[in-house]
Amino acid sequence: MFERFTKDAREVVQGAVMDCRRAGVRTVDAEHLLLALLEHEGGRASFALAALGLAEHRESVRRALSRARRQAGLTRAETDALAGLGIDVPEIVARVEEAHGVGAMSGERKDGIRRSGRRPSFGQGAKDVLEKSLRVALAQRDRHIGDEHLLLALTVLPGVPAEALADHGVTYESVTRVLYADAGEDRKAG
Amino acid sequence: MTDATDLAQRAGDRDPRVGLRAVAALRRLLEQLEAVQVRSARNQGWSWQEIAAELGVSRQAVHKKYGRQ
Repeated sequence: MFERFTKDAREVVQGAVMDCRRAGVRTVDAEHLLLALLEHEGGRASFALAALGLAEHRESVRRALSRARRQAGLTRAETDALAGLGIDVPEIVARVEEAHGVGAMSGERKDGIRRSGRRPSFGQGAKDVLEKSLRVALAQRDRHIGDEHLLLALTVLPGVPAEALADHGVTYESVTRVLYADAGEDRKAG
Repeated sequence: MTDATDLAQRAGDRDPRVGLRAVAALRRLLEQLEAVQVRSARNQGWSWQEIAAELGVSRQAVHKKYGRQ
Protein backbone atom coordinates (compact mmCIF):
# COMPACT_ATOMS: atom_id res chain seq x y z
CA MET A 1 0.00 0.00 0.00
CA PHE A 2 2.80 2.45 0.88
CA GLU A 3 4.13 2.46 -2.68
CA ARG A 4 1.07 4.43 -3.73
CA PHE A 5 1.65 7.10 -1.10
CA THR A 6 2.84 10.47 -2.28
CA LYS A 7 5.96 12.04 -0.82
CA ASP A 8 3.76 14.30 1.35
CA ALA A 9 1.74 11.38 2.68
CA ARG A 10 4.90 9.43 3.49
CA GLU A 11 6.37 12.43 5.26
CA VAL A 12 3.26 12.78 7.40
CA VAL A 13 3.29 9.10 8.38
CA GLN A 14 7.03 9.16 9.04
CA GLY A 15 6.61 12.38 11.00
CA ALA A 16 4.02 10.72 13.24
CA VAL A 17 6.32 7.74 13.81
CA MET A 18 9.26 9.99 14.59
CA ASP A 19 7.25 12.16 16.99
CA CYS A 20 6.12 9.06 18.88
CA ARG A 21 9.61 7.64 18.93
CA ARG A 22 11.09 10.86 20.26
CA ALA A 23 8.42 11.09 22.95
CA GLY A 24 8.82 7.42 23.84
CA VAL A 25 5.22 6.67 22.86
CA ARG A 26 4.88 3.03 21.91
CA THR A 27 1.85 3.12 19.69
CA VAL A 28 1.20 5.46 16.78
CA ASP A 29 -2.46 6.38 16.87
CA ALA A 30 -4.84 8.26 14.60
CA GLU A 31 -4.31 11.41 16.66
CA HIS A 32 -0.56 11.23 16.05
CA LEU A 33 -1.23 11.17 12.33
CA LEU A 34 -3.40 14.25 12.73
CA LEU A 35 -0.74 16.03 14.79
CA ALA A 36 1.87 15.26 12.09
CA LEU A 37 -0.57 16.42 9.44
CA LEU A 38 -1.02 19.74 11.24
CA GLU A 39 2.76 20.17 11.27
CA HIS A 40 3.32 19.26 7.65
CA GLU A 41 3.59 22.10 5.21
CA GLY A 42 3.34 22.35 1.47
CA GLY A 43 0.99 19.42 0.92
CA ARG A 44 -2.59 19.32 -0.36
CA ALA A 45 -3.86 18.78 3.16
CA SER A 46 -2.16 21.89 4.49
CA PHE A 47 -3.61 23.80 1.54
CA ALA A 48 -7.09 22.56 2.45
CA LEU A 49 -6.60 23.28 6.16
CA ALA A 50 -5.36 26.80 5.39
CA ALA A 51 -8.32 27.39 3.06
CA LEU A 52 -10.64 26.36 5.90
CA GLY A 53 -8.91 28.78 8.26
CA LEU A 54 -7.39 26.13 10.48
CA ALA A 55 -3.86 27.56 10.34
CA GLU A 56 -4.52 29.85 13.28
CA HIS A 57 -6.49 27.23 15.20
CA ARG A 58 -3.93 24.45 15.14
CA GLU A 59 -3.12 24.96 18.79
CA SER A 60 -6.79 24.68 19.65
CA VAL A 61 -6.99 21.33 17.82
CA ARG A 62 -3.90 20.10 19.67
CA ARG A 63 -5.45 21.10 22.97
CA ALA A 64 -8.68 19.29 22.10
CA LEU A 65 -6.71 16.13 21.31
CA SER A 66 -4.75 16.19 24.53
CA ARG A 67 -7.86 16.96 26.56
CA ALA A 68 -9.66 13.96 25.05
CA ARG A 69 -6.64 11.74 25.60
CA ARG A 70 -6.56 12.65 29.25
CA GLN A 71 -10.26 11.68 29.48
CA ALA A 72 -9.59 8.05 28.59
CA GLY A 73 -9.49 8.92 24.87
CA LEU A 74 -13.26 9.24 24.77
CA THR A 75 -14.99 11.63 22.41
CA ARG A 76 -17.46 14.17 23.73
CA ALA A 77 -20.24 12.09 22.17
CA GLU A 78 -19.05 9.07 24.14
CA THR A 79 -18.70 11.05 27.34
CA ASP A 80 -22.25 12.35 26.83
CA ALA A 81 -23.51 8.83 26.19
CA LEU A 82 -21.96 7.72 29.48
CA ALA A 83 -23.42 10.73 31.29
CA GLY A 84 -26.78 9.46 30.05
CA LEU A 85 -26.14 6.30 32.04
CA GLY A 86 -25.21 8.36 35.07
CA ILE A 87 -21.49 7.82 34.60
CA ASP A 88 -19.55 11.00 35.17
CA VAL A 89 -16.32 10.55 33.18
CA PRO A 90 -14.62 13.78 34.27
CA GLU A 91 -15.29 12.85 37.89
CA ILE A 92 -13.82 9.37 37.40
CA VAL A 93 -10.77 10.81 35.65
CA ALA A 94 -10.29 13.35 38.44
CA ARG A 95 -10.37 10.63 41.10
CA VAL A 96 -8.02 8.33 39.23
CA GLU A 97 -5.60 11.20 38.64
CA GLU A 98 -5.74 12.03 42.34
CA ALA A 99 -4.46 8.57 43.14
CA HIS A 100 -2.30 7.82 40.12
CA GLY A 101 -1.19 11.18 38.80
CA VAL A 102 -2.19 13.50 35.96
CA GLY A 103 -2.65 11.69 32.68
CA ALA A 104 -3.18 8.31 34.34
CA MET A 105 -6.25 7.69 32.18
CA SER A 106 -4.55 8.70 28.94
CA GLY A 107 -3.55 5.12 28.22
CA GLU A 108 -0.35 6.43 26.76
CA ARG A 109 2.29 3.94 27.70
CA LYS A 110 5.69 5.42 27.47
CA ASP A 111 8.98 3.65 27.48
CA GLY A 112 11.44 4.38 30.21
CA ILE A 113 14.67 6.16 29.36
CA ARG A 114 16.27 2.78 28.90
CA ARG A 115 14.01 1.74 26.07
CA SER A 116 13.02 5.03 24.50
CA GLY A 117 13.92 5.46 20.88
CA ARG A 118 12.70 2.08 19.75
CA ARG A 119 10.37 2.03 16.79
CA PRO A 120 6.74 2.42 17.80
CA SER A 121 4.09 0.18 16.26
CA PHE A 122 0.92 1.27 14.50
CA GLY A 123 -2.19 1.04 16.62
CA GLN A 124 -5.52 -0.06 15.18
CA GLY A 125 -6.68 3.56 14.91
CA ALA A 126 -3.70 4.53 12.75
CA LYS A 127 -4.09 1.39 10.62
CA ASP A 128 -7.72 2.29 10.07
CA VAL A 129 -6.71 5.77 8.89
CA LEU A 130 -4.18 4.38 6.39
CA GLU A 131 -6.69 1.86 5.08
CA LYS A 132 -9.46 4.44 4.88
CA SER A 133 -7.19 6.87 3.04
CA LEU A 134 -6.82 4.25 0.31
CA ARG A 135 -10.61 3.89 0.05
CA VAL A 136 -11.07 7.65 0.01
CA ALA A 137 -8.51 7.99 -2.80
CA LEU A 138 -10.31 5.29 -4.78
CA ALA A 139 -13.64 7.01 -4.21
CA GLN A 140 -12.17 10.27 -5.49
CA ARG A 141 -10.70 8.36 -8.43
CA ASP A 142 -7.24 9.58 -7.46
CA ARG A 143 -4.43 7.25 -8.46
CA HIS A 144 -2.17 8.17 -5.59
CA ILE A 145 -2.71 8.38 -1.85
CA GLY A 146 -1.82 11.85 -0.70
CA ASP A 147 -1.80 13.66 2.61
CA GLU A 148 -5.21 15.06 1.67
CA HIS A 149 -6.59 11.51 1.70
CA LEU A 150 -5.13 10.99 5.16
CA LEU A 151 -6.95 14.14 6.24
CA LEU A 152 -10.21 13.00 4.65
CA ALA A 153 -9.87 9.60 6.33
CA LEU A 154 -9.39 11.35 9.68
CA THR A 155 -12.60 13.33 9.15
CA VAL A 156 -14.75 10.26 8.45
CA LEU A 157 -13.48 7.72 10.96
CA PRO A 158 -15.43 8.18 14.19
CA GLY A 159 -13.21 9.26 17.03
CA VAL A 160 -11.41 12.08 18.75
CA PRO A 161 -9.55 13.39 15.65
CA ALA A 162 -12.76 13.65 13.59
CA GLU A 163 -14.54 15.38 16.45
CA ALA A 164 -11.71 17.87 17.00
CA LEU A 165 -11.58 18.62 13.27
CA ALA A 166 -15.36 18.99 12.95
CA ASP A 167 -15.36 21.41 15.90
CA HIS A 168 -13.10 23.60 13.79
CA GLY A 169 -15.15 23.33 10.62
CA VAL A 170 -13.03 20.62 9.03
CA THR A 171 -15.28 17.85 7.75
CA TYR A 172 -15.26 15.48 4.79
CA GLU A 173 -17.60 17.84 2.97
CA SER A 174 -15.66 21.03 3.67
CA VAL A 175 -12.31 19.48 2.74
CA THR A 176 -13.61 17.98 -0.50
CA ARG A 177 -15.24 21.31 -1.30
CA VAL A 178 -11.92 23.18 -1.17
CA LEU A 179 -9.90 20.38 -2.76
CA TYR A 180 -12.21 19.35 -5.54
CA ALA A 181 -14.04 22.62 -6.03
CA ASP A 182 -13.77 22.48 -9.80
CA ALA A 183 -14.45 18.77 -10.06
CA GLY A 184 -18.07 19.43 -9.13
CA GLU A 185 -20.37 16.50 -8.46
CA ASP A 186 -20.70 14.47 -5.39
CA ARG A 187 -17.76 12.12 -5.15
CA LYS A 188 -18.26 11.13 -1.60
CA ALA A 189 -16.43 8.14 -0.19
CA GLY A 190 -18.44 5.20 1.01
CA MET B 1 -38.38 20.91 30.28
CA THR B 2 -41.65 20.65 28.39
CA ASP B 3 -43.56 17.40 28.13
CA ALA B 4 -42.81 17.22 24.45
CA THR B 5 -39.04 17.40 24.80
CA ASP B 6 -39.20 15.10 27.81
CA LEU B 7 -41.03 12.52 25.73
CA ALA B 8 -38.67 12.98 22.85
CA GLN B 9 -35.74 12.39 25.15
CA ARG B 10 -37.21 9.27 26.66
CA ALA B 11 -37.98 7.97 23.19
CA GLY B 12 -34.35 8.69 22.31
CA ASP B 13 -33.19 6.62 25.22
CA ARG B 14 -34.92 3.64 23.68
CA ASP B 15 -32.94 4.16 20.51
CA PRO B 16 -30.60 1.17 20.43
CA ARG B 17 -27.89 3.35 18.93
CA VAL B 18 -27.72 5.50 22.04
CA GLY B 19 -27.55 2.49 24.31
CA LEU B 20 -24.99 0.65 22.21
CA ARG B 21 -22.78 3.71 21.95
CA ALA B 22 -22.86 4.08 25.72
CA VAL B 23 -21.88 0.44 26.16
CA ALA B 24 -18.97 0.79 23.73
CA ALA B 25 -17.78 3.92 25.53
CA LEU B 26 -18.11 2.16 28.88
CA ARG B 27 -15.98 -0.71 27.61
CA ARG B 28 -13.24 1.72 26.61
CA LEU B 29 -13.43 3.45 29.96
CA LEU B 30 -13.23 0.07 31.66
CA GLU B 31 -10.15 -0.88 29.63
CA GLN B 32 -8.37 2.27 30.75
CA LEU B 33 -9.34 1.76 34.37
CA GLU B 34 -8.12 -1.83 34.26
CA ALA B 35 -4.80 -0.79 32.73
CA VAL B 36 -4.29 1.84 35.45
CA GLN B 37 -5.02 -0.62 38.24
CA VAL B 38 -2.94 -3.46 36.80
CA ARG B 39 0.03 -1.16 36.28
CA SER B 40 -0.33 0.16 39.80
CA ALA B 41 -0.48 -3.36 41.23
CA ARG B 42 2.61 -4.44 39.27
CA ASN B 43 4.47 -1.35 40.48
CA GLN B 44 3.62 -2.38 44.01
CA GLY B 45 5.06 -5.82 43.42
CA TRP B 46 1.88 -7.84 42.93
CA SER B 47 2.23 -11.11 41.03
CA TRP B 48 0.17 -11.82 37.91
CA GLN B 49 -1.57 -14.53 39.89
CA GLU B 50 -2.68 -12.09 42.58
CA ILE B 51 -3.90 -9.55 40.02
CA ALA B 52 -5.78 -12.23 38.08
CA ALA B 53 -7.47 -13.46 41.24
CA GLU B 54 -8.80 -9.97 42.05
CA LEU B 55 -9.98 -9.42 38.48
CA GLY B 56 -11.61 -12.83 38.36
CA VAL B 57 -9.77 -13.96 35.26
CA SER B 58 -6.98 -16.44 34.55
CA ARG B 59 -3.36 -15.58 35.21
CA GLN B 60 -2.61 -16.27 31.53
CA ALA B 61 -5.26 -13.79 30.40
CA VAL B 62 -3.80 -10.95 32.48
CA HIS B 63 -0.25 -11.76 31.56
CA LYS B 64 -1.04 -11.99 27.86
CA LYS B 65 -2.76 -8.61 27.97
CA TYR B 66 -0.32 -6.69 30.15
CA GLY B 67 2.87 -8.73 30.28
CA ARG B 68 6.14 -7.61 28.71
CA GLN B 69 5.37 -3.95 29.17
